[in-house]
Amino acid sequence: MFRSLRENVPETVQVSVNGHPVQVPARQTVWSALALSGQTVTRKSALSGEDRSAYCTMGVCFECLVEIDGEPNQQACLREVAPGMVIVSQNITEFTMADRDGL
Amino acid sequence: MAFDCVIVGAGPAGMSAAVTLAEHGVRSLVLDRGAKAGGQIYRYAASSPLPDPSKLGPDYMSGAALINAFEACGADHVAGADVWHVGDDGRILYSIDGETRQIETREVLVCPGAIERPMPIPGWTLPGVMTAGAAQVMLKTDAIVAENAVFAGSGPLLYLVVAQYLRLGVKVAGLVDTTPRRNFLQAASAAPAALRSASLLHKGISLLSEIRRAGIPVYRQSVQLKLLGQTRVSGLSFYSNGLQQIEADTVFLHHGVIPNPNMTRALGLDHVWNEDQLAWHVKTDLYGQSSIPYIAVAGDGGAIVGGDGAHIEGRLAALNILMRLERISPETRDRLSRSPVGELRRLSQFRRFIDRLYRPSDALRLPQDEDTPVCRCEDQSVADLRAGFQLGARDPNALKSRTRCGMGPCQGRQCGPIVSDLLANWRGEHVSDVGYYRMRSPQRLLSLEELSRFKTVSSLQPRAREASR
Ligand code: FES
Repeated sequence: MFRSLRENVPETVQVSVNGHPVQVPARQTVWSALALSGQTVTRKSALSGEDRSAYCTMGVCFECLVEIDGEPNQQACLREVAPGMVIVSQNITEFTMADRDGL
Repeated sequence: MAFDCVIVGAGPAGMSAAVTLAEHGVRSLVLDRGAKAGGQIYRYAASSPLPDPSKLGPDYMSGAALINAFEACGADHVAGADVWHVGDDGRILYSIDGETRQIETREVLVCPGAIERPMPIPGWTLPGVMTAGAAQVMLKTDAIVAENAVFAGSGPLLYLVVAQYLRLGVKVAGLVDTTPRRNFLQAASAAPAALRSASLLHKGISLLSEIRRAGIPVYRQSVQLKLLGQTRVSGLSFYSNGLQQIEADTVFLHHGVIPNPNMTRALGLDHVWNEDQLAWHVKTDLYGQSSIPYIAVAGDGGAIVGGDGAHIEGRLAALNILMRLERISPETRDRLSRSPVGELRRLSQFRRFIDRLYRPSDALRLPQDEDTPVCRCEDQSVADLRAGFQLGARDPNALKSRTRCGMGPCQGRQCGPIVSDLLANWRGEHVSDVGYYRMRSPQRLLSLEELSRFKTVSSLQPRAREASR
């Protein structure tokens, strides 16, 4: 279970995580918003479609790819939250891409 | 107009280089991906969200002084700049806020830092499995911790995070130490030289006794680690005095760091294999100057030297750049280098001791199980790679085009070292004969839309630049 050790948060913003509104400290990372809201699945693995989640949180592994404000493939660990931001776990796999491309 | 010097990376190496350049009147441009200067080690050291950041230890707190000196030195720091191309023509392309900009420079100092060595044990792709580095990043950036987590592996960073958690009152389910017993013997021969850095040695030992005193379960010489769980991690099983199992919803893995290779590889710099650190190093001279003379590398991105070492290397690289820019004479460079060089030598003796003591075991570097994923992005297991090898793909690039391993968005940062090791094993040759992936720009995911437009920036006036947007 993730929890925050912050004692006072001067400023919070509201974002939406997979359709749920959450209040998070301003300027924290999108990954932290996911972690604290308990919705830690970020993407699906390319072939098996298994759940994946953030691994390195420093921009190296790309496991934390999510959709932010409609744009897919955003690194949750590097992006900061903004008021009203819409964050969605992404479901792209080899197979959904094939569907989309009509293959 | 070209910049005199562009520094890529604002960790200890990049910051100390910028400070040194500024002392001699050269104002550098520092491009860094982070929101704030500090790199990984000093991440948010001057602006921590923690109620009491001193619990992270004096090393971390000392980062604040360097960050403040850097911010006061007048270097032009661009935060959030993701450099994705450094050309051998002095052109640098970087992306900021979804827009690419181009600059030109006479000298480049690349400080890409370290990444954690991949630890491909069964289940390492399950959600809830993270690296010890990740535990540190979450703690430093957003004061987030995982309660009742397991820490598994070996090395100073692992013990540091455990100690930090304990000081902050966070419960730790266990430390599963994988340091093999024989490493202690191997390290003993390097101990006398390391004793010259008695304070560093003392620091390491007191970390371990701090963990012991806290009374959390510590398992020594652990082997055969397996992460448990179907759709997310539920615990870790391993052997240490018999079969053990710990339940946890978060497991942090770590067994050392290696240079972040992608930028130095894409630049085509010469690399050499270092058997002590089991990693590729950038080939440089004492001043970090690479095989392309106007490109220098400093800090862990060249070879692992730690935060203190990176600080010194940044200074040395800057002194050489100042000489190349004809701001100081060769004699002045040599004179000013004498004491940092001596200090670096002393540190490297200590490093040799650490390298031997925490040398990762083959069983943890090489996946032992045919089903274990090697390439996390493209879902390629040991068995998939072996099939590719048997069809004739004998080197990393051939294996990449046959199996797609290393073709995903991380661009081989995770699977690269494993693939080279596996191929060396299968070929019965040394990894230095096997080589590494060939890298190219762009070194990040770019949308076509972004590629289609970019801006040229050639002045050192940040505000004028904003206005021209
Ligand atoms: S968690 Fe690794 S890139 Fe974001």
